[in-house]
Amino acid sequence: MVGGASDRDALSRARELALAGLLGALGLLLPIGFHALGWGGKVFLPMHLPVVVAGFLLSPATAVTLGFVVPLLSAVLTGMPPLSPPVAPLMALELAAKAGAASVFYRVLRLPLWVALAAAFVADWAVLALAAWFVAGLFAIKAGAIQYVAAAVVISLPGTILQVIAVPLTVLAIEKRVPRLRPAKRDETG
Amino acid sequence: MPHHLDLYVKRESALHRLDPRAKMLAAVGFVAAVLLAPTRPPWPTGALLLLLIGAAVLARLPARLVCRRMLSLVVVIGMPFLLSRLGGEATRAAGEQFAVRSLLVAAAFLVLMASTRAVVLLEVAERLPLVSVFGQLGEFILRGADLLAEEVVRTNRAWVLRAPSATLKVRLTGLSQASMSLLARAAARSERVGAAMVLRGFQGKLPMATPTPLPWSHLLAGLLFALISLGLAGVGRWR
Repeated sequence: MVGGASDRDALSRARELALAGLLGALGLLLPIGFHALGWGGKVFLPMHLPVVVAGFLLSPATAVTLGFVVPLLSAVLTGMPPLSPPVAPLMALELAAKAGAASVFYRVLRLPLWVALAAAFVADWAVLALAAWFVAGLFAIKAGAIQYVAAAVVISLPGTILQVIAVPLTVLAIEKRVPRLRPAKRDETG
Repeated sequence: MPHHLDLYVKRESALHRLDPRAKMLAAVGFVAAVLLAPTRPPWPTGALLLLLIGAAVLARLPARLVCRRMLSLVVVIGMPFLLSRLGGEATRAAGEQFAVRSLLVAAAFLVLMASTRAVVLLEVAERLPLVSVFGQLGEFILRGADLLAEEVVRTNRAWVLRAPSATLKVRLTGLSQASMSLLARAAARSERVGAAMVLRGFQGKLPMATPTPLPWSHLLAGLLFALISLGLAGVGRWR
């Protein structure tokens, strides 16, 4: 059985990897379900849902890695989002920032869930603007990154609303089911 | 073990037999060549396209399948291209460049993924410095996807058996409810999976398969493809 500190570390790492794997898998399967129903991925952002939830439940390093891997893996396994034009790489940066920000604000800084979710959205849009500016340069396109982000935000408004409703509910439900995943309160850790 | 999600097309071909590391080397060289090659005059990109068609023929990929997969990119590539036609000369040139580069790189990935199993690509990524952690997590996600896909199929089958006359709407409602509980159950399941991993000897790092040496002939083939692509782009750029 698990006894020493290193064993406990290994168990905690194993649990985190297993949870990351399953949430990442949902990140691959949910978009397929949405596409099957004819609901556009750009509008409802189904891949964002499990990845943002992962940001609230995993350590920052694992959350960033998961956010980066899921769109690229989905591109390799299903062809969507496309690797070229570079939608998948852009989404990889976007989701890495979003999941990372959620994890840092919620699990490390222990801010309320709503604040962390808002910070995750801001990080997402900031990284998207930077990445769009870089990619536009690569293709010699003279379009403003801010306009690109503004258009993306408007198109994905239903997805943003869905996340604002579903993510806190899901995170709280999971924390209730697996109390170990709940971040320690500030006064509990000093 | 075959996975539920994969773009692999089972064929007996030289390209399918080629070591995935050599194919990745060839793909990296080809993508670099596409980004370097000018689109005006069109012959360098035309030559690169011919090279890629040669690879697809070598892989014995059905033309219909290639066209069907490329069709999914029509909107993503076509819309910006059409919009660029409304602009001035510089915008039109940028639109052409965007469309040509995007199509060629997408087609290269299509040939690579249709001739290589995704899990093999992840195993290669696992051994590369910097991206190793992505490869490891990717393999975990792939296993998780198989697990959850089976669960979704089982849930749907149960719905069909219990309510054969249920409308699509009713079945979809059931599926969406099942997906929500799947998310919560995934967290609980990870506890058991984590404990099982530790009992099997997990010590914080995933074991890696022993790398096999890359045969010279395969390395040479991959290198040759990359060099020909880069050569074409180079000649087109500096002539």
